[in-house]
Amino acid sequence: MMNTLCRYLSPLLITALVLTSLPVAAAPATPGAGLITTQEALKAERSVEDRARIHEILARDDVQQQLVAQGVDPAEVKARVAALSDAEAARMADQLDQLPAGASVVGALFAVFVILLITDILGLTDVYPFTR
Amino acid sequence: MLLSMLLLTGCATTPQLSEATRQQVPERVLLEGVPFHAQRDYQCGPASLAMVLQAQGAKVDVDTLIPQVFLPGRQGSVQPEMLATVRRHGHIPFRIAPNFDSLLTEIAAGHPVVVMQNLSLPAWPVWHYAVAIGFDLDEQTLTLHSGMTAKRSVAFSRFDATWARSDRWAFVALPPGALPASLEAEPALQAIADFERVQGAAASLPAWEALVVRYSGSAMGYFALGNARHANGDSEGAEQAFAQAVAQEPEMAVAWLNLGLLHREQGETRQARQALQNAAALPGPWQQPALEALAAL
Repeated sequence: MMNTLCRYLSPLLITALVLTSLPVAAAPATPGAGLITTQEALKAERSVEDRARIHEILARDDVQQQLVAQGVDPAEVKARVAALSDAEAARMADQLDQLPAGASVVGALFAVFVILLITDILGLTDVYPFTR
Repeated sequence: MLLSMLLLTGCATTPQLSEATRQQVPERVLLEGVPFHAQRDYQCGPASLAMVLQAQGAKVDVDTLIPQVFLPGRQGSVQPEMLATVRRHGHIPFRIAPNFDSLLTEIAAGHPVVVMQNLSLPAWPVWHYAVAIGFDLDEQTLTLHSGMTAKRSVAFSRFDATWARSDRWAFVALPPGALPASLEAEPALQAIADFERVQGAAASLPAWEALVVRYSGSAMGYFALGNARHANGDSEGAEQAFAQAVAQEPEMAVAWLNLGLLHREQGETRQARQALQNAAALPGPWQQPALEALAAL
């Protein structure tokens, strides 16, 4: 039952989403509309392709879901995603798992203690403050 | 094993400063006005943000920032969200160029710099955010608010080895109207445009005004200023800015287009037609909208 419902609903939802985002993404300035925004002009100047722009718009929904999955308070998620630039949202959507997360965790590193101790002394790393 | 590690990571060498930077920056700088917040658990991201935002006068504390930037699943904070959170607090994050010259130039200009480091080796990364607040050229040291330690002094060479592993990722957070000392027009413009998308034209207007003062040859800067002025109800100022844009760059079709649309809105049909014809004469993505606007005139 749920499956059949989804089968009919999904294409509808996708069409609606694409239709509503296309005007923002691709074609600005129909007669009577306002000025071309700076953001649109910059994208055109950098020849961001239409496909990439649509990807950037869809990316935000994707990032919202990923943030919730990563344990972010759902009440915070919308505002967090809204503050991202289009390029940042696309980067988050594509590679959140690979992005380095600044945390300074040393715990898991005990196994390689000796190597890092030596590289610390050589001035290549900065893991153990007591080496100076 | 160790030898191969060293070959992989290269040796710690002292980063070279350009002659121009040496002449410009003082021998030593320490930004005393940057408050320190010791990080709790894995929260060097929120702590670093609190330090730079408070240094610029923003009223925001670490506890507010944690739910806004910390990612529980990753037990850390990722770079795009560090920048995004700065925007939420009404400041503009400017990524600076990945080199020591930019880093020291910003500190010398009074801007604390958030840097991302990998304190460990690439195989076992320890990603970390810290705030660079000073340097001493004589002793070749950088001063950082980092982790649990305020004003920690680190040799240039050691710092650069850890910073290089993040591709020397760094940014300054400035209120609209202030610009980084080291940046070129193009990336500054993009940073302000990204801020404007989030905070709107009223908040970003001072930043555009400052941009065209600093980079008076930037046609795109004048174009953006025209848009911001128009959005704030200043049609006359917007018209002047668009006119400046096309004076700087007569081939800038989108500036002609907006100038024409603005004249049309003001009911100045003759000037509107002139500007729109200029836009329509230039091949590119704005030709079609210009032709349509002309047809509807």
